[in-house]
Amino acid sequence: MLDAFTPITLVILGLTVANLTIRLSGYYLGAALPQLGAWARGLKALPGTLITALVTLQLIHGGPNEWIAGAVALGVAIISRSLPLTMLAGIAVIFALRHWI
Amino acid sequence: MQTPLQDLRAGFRDVLPLALGAALYGLAFGLLAAQAGMSVLQTGVMGSIVFSGSAQFVAVERLVAGAGAFTALVAGGALNLRILLMTASLRDVLAGRPFWQVLLGVHMTGDESWALLHATRATGRAVGYWYLVGAGACMMVAWVSATSAGAAFAAVLPEPHAMGIDFAFTAAFIAILRGLWSGRRDALPWIASAITVASLALLTPLEPSWALVAGGILGAVLAGVWGKDA
Repeated sequence: MLDAFTPITLVILGLTVANLTIRLSGYYLGAALPQLGAWARGLKALPGTLITALVTLQLIHGGPNEWIAGAVALGVAIISRSLPLTMLAGIAVIFALRHWI
Repeated sequence: MQTPLQDLRAGFRDVLPLALGAALYGLAFGLLAAQAGMSVLQTGVMGSIVFSGSAQFVAVERLVAGAGAFTALVAGGALNLRILLMTASLRDVLAGRPFWQVLLGVHMTGDESWALLHATRATGRAVGYWYLVGAGACMMVAWVSATSAGAAFAAVLPEPHAMGIDFAFTAAFIAILRGLWSGRRDALPWIASAITVASLALLTPLEPSWALVAGGILGAVLAGVWGKDA
């Protein structure tokens, strides 16, 4: 059944193996790092710094429309602390900017 | 303290807005998968065993662009390097669990379930492992059904960029950041992370995924070296 190894099945299986390796390696890495002190503080800060990096990258790849919508979303997030409201506001603003302005 | 079942349900419920966003994004992925010549079954299988939206997008986009399987794999894999840092930061959630639960937990770890877990904990709610699994399960149901549907009905779907759907996740992560903010001690690591990723992405030819990982790590190092325990 060599026919089964099309580029598509190779990519599906390869990504599955790569993903599982990455996910498990992270678990072992986290378990091996010290539980106190600088390492622990760094690991604890990681969610915030990583998501900041992700949002920054997404905004860089966008343009003025995305920056305005991002600023509005941030305002709504600060005031409402609500995930659905922030998503709705962001999508509504980007939709309006792309269609009517 | 909640029972595992309550935790599971709470995670499933709290992630629903994000799952809705993922479903719309999933329809878009299904469209792309159909262009790559993938069947509905292949699309569904990929969604459940790879279970990583952005990596799937990048890899299949490379295939559609005419790159070989190897290039597509490297591109998708590199994008997922950040997951290494994500599962590393879950150590207190996964510690002491039997191996099958560790496997299940790390497989259910995606941007959304992981970020939601941390944001919910930042509000003071004592949620843990089963909350993460519940959120991941909801994301998986949405992702697998939407990507398969997208591949099946590729011909009749609207273009996602025009609908503003691509911005749903940026807005979601902004809301999650708001939840993670714990005061001025976060300012320096976060600003350092943003400046690092911005300068690397704009001024160097570095792959964006590496810029992302570099920014996240540098911010965390600053918090580790100069921070104080809360």
